[in-house]
Amino acid sequence: MSDNEVKNGTSRNMLERCASVNEYFDISFKVMLLGDSAVGKTCVLVRFKDGAFLGGNFIATVGIDFRNKVVTVDNMKVKLQIWDTAGQERFRSVTHAYYRDAQALLLLYDITRKSSFDNIRAWLTEIHEYAQKDVVIMLLGNKSDMAAERVIKPEDGQKLAKEYGVPFMETSAKTGVNVELAFLAIARELKHRAAQQPHEPKFQIHDYIESQKQKSNCCGALM
Amino acid sequence: METTDSPVVTSLHQSDKNEMQSENNIDSITEVEDHMTLPRIERSKETKLLDTLTENNSNPRYLPVDIQKEEAVVFDVSETVKAPEDGGHEDSGEFVVAMLARGKLEEQDVCKRISPPILETSLEASTHWDEDVTAETWRQHRKHVFVLSEAGKPIYSRYGSEEALSSTMGVMMALVSFIQSGDNVIRSVYSDEHTVVFMQQGPLVLVSVSSTRQSEQQLRNELLYVYNQIVSMLTQASITRIFEHKKNYDLRRLLAGSEKILDGLLNLVDFDPSFLLSAVHCLPIASSFRDSLSQILQKAITPNLVFSILIAKNQLLTIAQEKMVIEDAKLDPSDLHLLLNLIGASSAFQAGEIWTPICLPSFNPDCYFYAYISYLDPPECTVCLLLLSTDNEAFYAVAECKRKIEEAMQAQNALTSIAKAQSYSVSQVGVSDLRHFMYKPFDVPDNHHQLTQFTSPEMEAPYDSEEEKMRLLDLYRDMHGRIHNTSRPLKLIYHVGLRETLLAWVTTKFELYTCFSPLVTKSCAINAITKLLRWVKKEEDRLFIRYPPKYSTTPNASKS
Repeated sequence: MSDNEVKNGTSRNMLERCASVNEYFDISFKVMLLGDSAVGKTCVLVRFKDGAFLGGNFIATVGIDFRNKVVTVDNMKVKLQIWDTAGQERFRSVTHAYYRDAQALLLLYDITRKSSFDNIRAWLTEIHEYAQKDVVIMLLGNKSDMAAERVIKPEDGQKLAKEYGVPFMETSAKTGVNVELAFLAIARELKHRAAQQPHEPKFQIHDYIESQKQKSNCCGALM
Repeated sequence: METTDSPVVTSLHQSDKNEMQSENNIDSITEVEDHMTLPRIERSKETKLLDTLTENNSNPRYLPVDIQKEEAVVFDVSETVKAPEDGGHEDSGEFVVAMLARGKLEEQDVCKRISPPILETSLEASTHWDEDVTAETWRQHRKHVFVLSEAGKPIYSRYGSEEALSSTMGVMMALVSFIQSGDNVIRSVYSDEHTVVFMQQGPLVLVSVSSTRQSEQQLRNELLYVYNQIVSMLTQASITRIFEHKKNYDLRRLLAGSEKILDGLLNLVDFDPSFLLSAVHCLPIASSFRDSLSQILQKAITPNLVFSILIAKNQLLTIAQEKMVIEDAKLDPSDLHLLLNLIGASSAFQAGEIWTPICLPSFNPDCYFYAYISYLDPPECTVCLLLLSTDNEAFYAVAECKRKIEEAMQAQNALTSIAKAQSYSVSQVGVSDLRHFMYKPFDVPDNHHQLTQFTSPEMEAPYDSEEEKMRLLDLYRDMHGRIHNTSRPLKLIYHVGLRETLLAWVTTKFELYTCFSPLVTKSCAINAITKLLRWVKKEEDRLFIRYPPKYSTTPNASKS
C-alpha cells in the first residue's frame, strides 16, 4: 500500500499543491530542520512532502526554505509549516532569527559522516541558546540505507539522544524509512501539547516512536 | 590585422613608479614577436584584407615559459603600455567613420581568431569537480576561472577540484606576489593561445585563463562578476574581516554549496549578452499590462521593503523600488544579474518560499538585504517574485506581500498573460537581411535612477544551435571589445565576415550591434539600421520599462 503511494506520488502531490493555497486545517505548528550541510535535510523534507527522493546532484539550500504540509492526527488536520534550513555557516545568522518561532526541531546528522555527528553537540548548544525552552527536539540519523559507508552506529545516536533526553531514530530519505514517522510523531506531540487537558496523561513521544518503529519495520513506511 | 592592441603584460598604476628598464627586456619582446610569426602567417592566409590601413597594432604575445621570463616581460610594461596610446588614440573613432565614408570595408578574420567555440562539453552547467586536472581535455576548456586567497589557498576553480589544483594556484599566487614585491601589479599574460588575466580584490585573487580572444577588459569584467557574486554571499566587509583575522583561512568553508552559483554565473556570462552590455533584458509586454503588474507590486508593501521584482523566463517583467533608497543609490544592472543568476543556478528555489541574506555589491558591498524568493506558478516555475527587505525578521510580513500579489494577479488572470508573453522575432522588425541585433538606449527618461536596459530578439537560424549562438556572441564580444578598447575606442565598425556582416555603432543616445546576412551592402545596412531605430522607437513602450514604479515603505530608510 505504501509502495503504491510512493509510485503515485507525483500526480497525487500535484493535486495537493494546487489545493494547498487555501487548504483547510485545524491547527498549525512550525517545525525546523537543522543539521550540517549535506546531511539530507531537504531530501527528508521532500520525501515527507512529495513522497519522492531527490537523487543525483546535491543542491544546497539557500537561506531558509518555507513549506507547508497538512497531516491528519486523530481526525484533526494539523498544518506543519516546515523551515528547511541551509546547513552552511554563512546562513547561521538568518536561521538563528527564526529558531525561536519553531515549536519543533528535527536535528539531522549523516550516519556516513562522523563530523556531522560530532557537530550535533554544537547544534544542541545553539538550540538551547536561540530556541524556545519547551521546543520539541528530535535527533535523526539520516542515510540509513547506506549500510556500507556507515560510520556512526545506531547505538551511538541512541546514546547521544538519551544524554540530551530527546527521541531518536534513523531515517532514510532514499527509501523513506521512518521519515513520515518522524514528522507524524512531532505532529502528534505538538497537537497533544496544544490540546492537553490538565488531568490528561502526557503524550509519550518516546513510547509512541518505539511502538511505531516496530510496526513499520516490515513495510518501511507508516500510515 | 590584430585589433586587440593590449600590451604583453600590462601593469596597473604602479607601473610609472617602476623605473627599472633593463635592456634585457627589449630582447624578450623581440623573442616574443619571433614566437608569433608562425601562427600569424597561418592566419593571414585565410584573411581577406580589403583595408589594411585600419589598424596596425602588432600584438606581441608571449608564451610564458617560467617565472624568470615573466619577470623580464613585466618590466617592459611601462613602455608597452604607452605605445598604443601614443600611436592610435586620437584618430580612432573618426578614422573608422571616415574610412567607411570612403567606401572601404574593413575585413578581419574574426571567426578565425576566435578559437573554435565548443570543443568540449563545458556548455552544460554540469559539475566538473571530478575532472582530471592533468588531462588534455581540462587544458582545452575555453575559459578557466580560478579564485584564490592571498595566502595562495584555493577557493574556486571552474573546472576540476580546487584541491587538485592547489599547486597550480600556488604558482599563480607566486606570480602575483613576485611582481608585488617589485612594487608592481601583474595584470595579464598573453600567450599564443591564451590570455591570462589577474585581478586582485582585497584579500582575493581572481585569475581568468581564456582562449576566447576576448579583450582583457571583458575578461576583467567577468572576474569582477565572480568576485561580486562571492561578495553577494558573504559581503566585502566580512571577507576582509575574516582574512584580517586569519590570513590562511579556507574561504571554501563559508562558500560551501555555492559552487553551483559560481558555475552558473560563468555559464551565463558566456551565453547571456546582458553581462557584456551591463544591461538588463526585459520581457516585451504591452505597457498597459506592465503598468498593471507594477501597480500590483506597488500595493503589496510592508515596512523596510526596498525592491519588488517580477521575473518571467529569466527576464525582467517589472521592478518597483523604494523611493528613499533609490534616491541614495541606483540599482545596478550587475546586481540584478547576480540575483537572477542566484535564482537560476539553483533549483532549490522551485519548491517553497526562500528567505536568504543577499548583498548587492554595487549597491552596498558591506550590507545584507534579505531576499524573499518564490515562484508564482509552480510546478512550471517560470514566474518568480523577488522581494528585498532590509529587515532580517520580516519574513512573515514579506510573505504576506506575496499573498497579496498572488491574489491580485489571480484576479487579473495575469499569470496566463505572462505565460503568453515572449521575446520577439527579428522578422517583426521587417528589415530584410537583418538577422539579429542588440540595442541599448541611453536616452531614457529619468536616466539617473533607471536600470540600464537593452533589447534583443531571439537568436534564430542560423544561430539556433549552441555552437552558432556562441559564435555570434563571440563576434559581438569582439566588436564590443574593439568599440570599448580603452586605448583606442571606436564609434563605428562595419565588419564583413564570411558568414555574416556586422555593424556596431555607439552614439551618445545608444549602443547598437547588428548582424546581417553576408551579402548585405553597406548602404543597405545603413538603411536597415535607420529602419531598425525607427522600429525600436515605435516599440519602446513594449520593449523597455520606461518609468520604473516607486513606492514608499521606509520612513527611516536612511538608517539602513
